[in-house]
Amino acid sequence: MRWIGAGLVVLSCTSLGFQTAWQWRMRLRWLEQLRQMIYFLKGEILYGHTALNEALDRVGQRCLQAEGERGLRKLPLFFLSVAGRIDRQEGEAFCQIWREEMEALKISPLTEEDKKALKNLGDHLGYLDLTMQERNLLLYLEQLDEQIGYLRCHLKERTKLYTSLGIMGGLFLTVALL
Amino acid sequence: MEGERVNSGSNTMDEMEQVIRIFPQKLREELRSARTGDFWAEEIRLRAGMPLLMRAEGKDWYLENGQPRKWRPLSSYDSGISCSIITPEDIRDTLEYMSRYSMYAFDEELRQGFLTIPGGHRVGLAGQAVLEGSRVKTLRNISFLNVRIARQIPGCADEVRPWLFQKGEFCSSLIISPPRCGKTTLLRDLIRQISNGKKKTAAPGEGWLDGSRIEALQTGMQKDEEESGLTVGVADERSELGACCQGKPQNDLGIRTDVLDACPKAQGIMMLIRSMSPQVVAVDEIGGMEDLEALRYGKNCGCRLLATVHGCSLEDIRKKPVLGELVEEGVFSRFIILESHGRPGQIRQILDERGSAVFGKRQEEGICAG
Repeated sequence: MRWIGAGLVVLSCTSLGFQTAWQWRMRLRWLEQLRQMIYFLKGEILYGHTALNEALDRVGQRCLQAEGERGLRKLPLFFLSVAGRIDRQEGEAFCQIWREEMEALKISPLTEEDKKALKNLGDHLGYLDLTMQERNLLLYLEQLDEQIGYLRCHLKERTKLYTSLGIMGGLFLTVALL
Repeated sequence: MEGERVNSGSNTMDEMEQVIRIFPQKLREELRSARTGDFWAEEIRLRAGMPLLMRAEGKDWYLENGQPRKWRPLSSYDSGISCSIITPEDIRDTLEYMSRYSMYAFDEELRQGFLTIPGGHRVGLAGQAVLEGSRVKTLRNISFLNVRIARQIPGCADEVRPWLFQKGEFCSSLIISPPRCGKTTLLRDLIRQISNGKKKTAAPGEGWLDGSRIEALQTGMQKDEEESGLTVGVADERSELGACCQGKPQNDLGIRTDVLDACPKAQGIMMLIRSMSPQVVAVDEIGGMEDLEALRYGKNCGCRLLATVHGCSLEDIRKKPVLGELVEEGVFSRFIILESHGRPGQIRQILDERGSAVFGKRQEEGICAG
């Protein structure tokens, strides 16, 4: 019985390590996808002078089709739901729609910091002229680039660290408990 | 029938609901509670610090507070009356909302002082102009909005259309009208009818026009019966004719109609002629020198023209620099002159290229309502 318990402790600690490493990788993939979507949005706004509802809808549709089964559908769906809310003309402010729809991203690999930056983007999107849109989007893209750079840079060492910490931590706990 | 709707003097609830939905929550509730849908509203005006006004049935109305809120004639307005006052925030929210939070997408329109929103409704803007050199760059501190409610009235051109054909051929026509007399509505229906082809002509007294008021003169000209529709190219600079949404017209402009949306008229006419080979080119509110040159080019290419212009009479038009020349050159063969006595869309006359009345009163009165 004791050995079964010890095995379970090792297993759970190892899976916790793997889970944390997976979170790191997923966060990177989410941020990369977000960066791509923001680039598309920038193109729609600057090149086509497209209104936000139409631009968000197009980008959402495009990325949703591209993602297929890969499991990264929450962000395109978020864009689509914001576009849908604007189209429904319920009379709310854009930032309110953006914030409320961000609730769908509550369970995601994004950190609080990522969510705060995304929320800030929503607060300023649509404000003033095209130049202002470009600057807002570029500012956000800069933040995303920094985050992505950091995550990529530390990806190997962090995933190795988390997995080995999980395994070693499990073993240590088992020894300590035995 | 649409004519009956006009006569009943009220909008359908659906139509008005669509208009009310262009306002943000607060104004939307006020308009709904005052049963705005019971009126045949032409305009809703927002001025910062002033009461919310509506123009309907030839009168101005203000929105009186109370349970329930009611529209009252502006003539009975007194500064002591409690009414719905527009704040600068209301105007800012309305603008943001109307533009779908995308004012940046309407830079060019802002420069010209109006937005066209889904449904083809035109929102006129006034505030403080921001200049770049001598050119208006944009408007800021926008404090005045005028929402002009656009409507399709299918059949409103029934009585006009037969007079625009001679021996089965469509004659280039110019609709002359003071503002708010329904020229765009008439043009839209003419485009639809010309594009779709022959349809049963309304009997006098039916339809949009008040047939009993019109004295149709027998000038020896027959109401020629055309059969097939014509390919119509519409240069819809202000998106009022087609009310295009993502390039697709929301208004019915007919089966053989191509719409070039949001393109300056002069360039649009040229592009349409080169690319879509239209038999008829239709444009709203011509006036600029370039527009007129483009129309001349279109005529020389063998296209028939259908256009509208601000004015009160053919004499008015003859006095205008380039347009007058076009008239003298015989570019237009029919002139439809509108007037508004209480309600828009009343035909005073239809004249031929010689200025003789083929429909309506024989003598031009030359009275300008605008």
